[in-house]
Amino acid sequence: MLKDIFNILLPHISLAGFIILQLVLSLLLSPRLYRYARLVSVIGISLSIILLSTVQTEPQYFAFKDSLMSDSYTLLFDFLILVCGFLTALLSRNLIKTIKGNAYTFQALLLTAIFGAMNIISANDFLTLFVSIEILSFSTYFLIAAAKGYYSKEASFKYLLTSAISSGVFLFGVSYLYGITGSLNLSEIYEIVMNQDPSIMYSISAIMIVLGLISKLAVFPFANWVIDVYKGAETSVLAFLSTIPKLAVFGILCRLLVFPLSNSFELTFVIAIITLITAFWANTYAIRENNVKVILACSASANSSYVLLAACLVSVYNLSTVIFYLLCYVLMNISAFAFLNICSDKHDMDVRSFKGLFYNNHGLTGAYAFSVLALAGFPITSGFVAKIYLFTAIASSGLIFVPFLLILLILTVAALYYYLKILIPLFERCDKNTETPKLNPVFSQKFVLIVTAAITLLIGIYPEKIIELCRFIAYNI
Amino acid sequence: MEKLLSIPFLIFMPLVISMFVISPLFTRNEIIVRRFSKSIFGLHFLYSILMLALFDPANPYISQIHFFGLDWIQSMGVKFIFKIDNISMILVMLTSFVFLISSFASKFNIRENHKFYYSMLLLLESAILGIFTAGDMFVFFLFWELELIPAYFLIGGKWKGLENESEAAKAQNSAIKFVLFTFLGSMVMLLGILLLHYYNYISNGILSASFTDINASRIPEYIQILISVCLLIGFGVKLPIIPLHTWLPDAHTNAPTPVSMILAGILLKTGAYGIFRFNYRTLSDAFITIAPILAVFALINIIYTAFVAYAQTDIKRIVAYSSISNMGLILLGLCAINQIGLSASVFHMVAHALVTCGLFMIAGIVYLRCKTRDINTLSGIAAVMPRLFGFAVLIVLASIGIPAFAPFVSEILTIIASLNADFSDVLKFVSVFSLPLLIISSCYMLKFLHKSFYGELPQEFEKVNDITVHEFIVLASVLAGLVIFGIFPGVLLNMAG
Repeated sequence: MLKDIFNILLPHISLAGFIILQLVLSLLLSPRLYRYARLVSVIGISLSIILLSTVQTEPQYFAFKDSLMSDSYTLLFDFLILVCGFLTALLSRNLIKTIKGNAYTFQALLLTAIFGAMNIISANDFLTLFVSIEILSFSTYFLIAAAKGYYSKEASFKYLLTSAISSGVFLFGVSYLYGITGSLNLSEIYEIVMNQDPSIMYSISAIMIVLGLISKLAVFPFANWVIDVYKGAETSVLAFLSTIPKLAVFGILCRLLVFPLSNSFELTFVIAIITLITAFWANTYAIRENNVKVILACSASANSSYVLLAACLVSVYNLSTVIFYLLCYVLMNISAFAFLNICSDKHDMDVRSFKGLFYNNHGLTGAYAFSVLALAGFPITSGFVAKIYLFTAIASSGLIFVPFLLILLILTVAALYYYLKILIPLFERCDKNTETPKLNPVFSQKFVLIVTAAITLLIGIYPEKIIELCRFIAYNI
Repeated sequence: MEKLLSIPFLIFMPLVISMFVISPLFTRNEIIVRRFSKSIFGLHFLYSILMLALFDPANPYISQIHFFGLDWIQSMGVKFIFKIDNISMILVMLTSFVFLISSFASKFNIRENHKFYYSMLLLLESAILGIFTAGDMFVFFLFWELELIPAYFLIGGKWKGLENESEAAKAQNSAIKFVLFTFLGSMVMLLGILLLHYYNYISNGILSASFTDINASRIPEYIQILISVCLLIGFGVKLPIIPLHTWLPDAHTNAPTPVSMILAGILLKTGAYGIFRFNYRTLSDAFITIAPILAVFALINIIYTAFVAYAQTDIKRIVAYSSISNMGLILLGLCAINQIGLSASVFHMVAHALVTCGLFMIAGIVYLRCKTRDINTLSGIAAVMPRLFGFAVLIVLASIGIPAFAPFVSEILTIIASLNADFSDVLKFVSVFSLPLLIISSCYMLKFLHKSFYGELPQEFEKVNDITVHEFIVLASVLAGLVIFGIFPGVLLNMAG
């Protein structure tokens, strides 16, 4: 029993230990020592990444009466979440400088959110899943509110309300499913559902569960928070918010769609409609916007919707494309936010205030432009391969989905327009009487930006090994 | 000797050099940058001549790049493969030549940011060569998208110095328009490629995207047509086919002269090449069904834009619309689906590239000296620019299809080919109605010549200089090409056939 727990949970336990350590340090250390908060987080996350190698995955391991599990799939997602957490923690320098006294608490919350996300991935039981989602959500409220100013509080409150509603919807769906199957365990539900004809109640509960989950993805019925939250929150928190909850929710969503909820045609239909509405809304909304954060918010929404469409067309091939897309997407997104993090103390986030940045900061702006091009799906970036790979999955799902795909593809043209809106000012020459701006990033910010952009380039040129990994994991789910 | 030839070198040499030129390692000195890039283009041209000299149509050049022993995206059957057959070879040659002469034309038109300009020019050459030589659909698509980045900067960049603020803004808008239109087309095209890839897999059982592995005949007819239409929309934006053409006049007018030469000379041909490679060769069954409809579109292209060109007063716009008109002719040649049509079409690609480069060069020279391209303001400049006038007369005559120049051959052959098309009467109808092109095109071209070169010379143009050595080289080489192919068309026609 104990051995099983340690087999699976060592990274989680170590992370939990560091959460407690951060909280203790917040009581003990004086606010002047705020700098070390980031260091403790980074060490904690690195230790968890190292401890991931001790996790047993062959073939599947269960603990706590089957309520937690691990296999190669959870291992990959845990790894991605921890890497994103690592990069986010590195970026949080500017923020903890402004909140000094609360730096340790902030870092503790960041680690808690990562802990919650890892638990979501490992959950094999709806109750565990719900608790983990709440752990993630609750820490996220405070992370969003951490930035100075009125807007961050408003954003946090909006996020709280949306999350509360979606939690309710999720629990409602789970209660129906419990009513049908008499179990909360994913494996048991799968067996029961497979052995009986799908009823309408089953479809309703599946739709409810999925709707409850996807509020974190900023997808249609629960998308109204995304603009305000991205406007209000600090850039390092956004780097967190646009990657980790997404990885966690897509991780568990794919598992749910492959196993217990795979039996519902209505669900596929509803998700496809949601996807279209989200993609249309996000891509057209961003056209009018001039705030880089809002544009990236819309891009986050739109990208979620593409992945969601591929995820709902369940097959092993699709699953591998989803994993690959997520992997590429989080890296380029963090790269973009790392650049905004570098600029955050000098610029309001209007696109025009980035004018002429390229001419004194070739490397950094080049890397940022490269990441934005990757988001737009241009060649020699990982975004190009990921987009093609994802859309092959949708195209091979039958002729019914061809019109859907066509609409999504046409909407990416609108997406290109707003990405160009971000990119063009960077390369414009400044007027003669204004000085060409110069950025002064610290090492950690440069490190995050350059490393993520470099990996984006590397995957773009040589994607095969990563795709093979994704396929291997998709086959082993 | 054979071992010297390498397709990756041909394609990626400009790309590597462009990275070198833009990097901080390379000097900022304007003259060195210019001469270095010019010599690279010259070297590339010599190299492609070497490839042409050793080319054997029976066994085309094929080359595949492996990544640590694996294909590029092995799980999707995507190989990084290049293949140069006879038509690719002609277009590679043409690309190399047009880039060489446009680098000569750049001397007076580009006033700042030389490093960036020449590196983008080199990058564009790589991308276009990639399109013409790609042996795999996804590699084709990769270069198709890659080309947008340098093309955007070349059209929209500020190359003329700071005094032209409003022009720079206009150029940027047309660059955005160009990118969005092309991207829209390429997204629809991507859908076609994805479907072709998938249906080829389920009907033939081969997970591959290279052109040689695709056998469309087993794919159901309606899906073939669906795929063809998707692809045609993509290529139709580039070609352009009429309702999708609105980006072209703006982009061609507002881009600097050498870039206009590349756009009209080469970039439009990528669309025609795409139709040839995908629709004509790969999806040939569906193309027989679609060709008559496409021929009607070609007819609209030919006639409608010729009238529009007649109404223009800006020299560059006249040339831009005449380009669309001529691209219609190329499309008509492909629609005929016979040997004459194909070789006429390829011949016209070359002939039109030469003509349009010459005409844009003339427009650029006039604009540089007189600060206007309006044919109503211009008049009598033949008196001060006699040499330019001589070239202008000859190139205009070539463009309206006078014998002894290359376009005459291809125009006549295209019409013969579509008259010979047996599978549909629509083609015969179209060919008859496309004959007036020759008359209308001579109307607008002679109007341009007459209004700008003849008449009384206003005072402000009296101190204008005649063409310089650089400009002379460009115009003379274009004219030489036109005459050579006009008198000995067999060289090119045999190769294309």
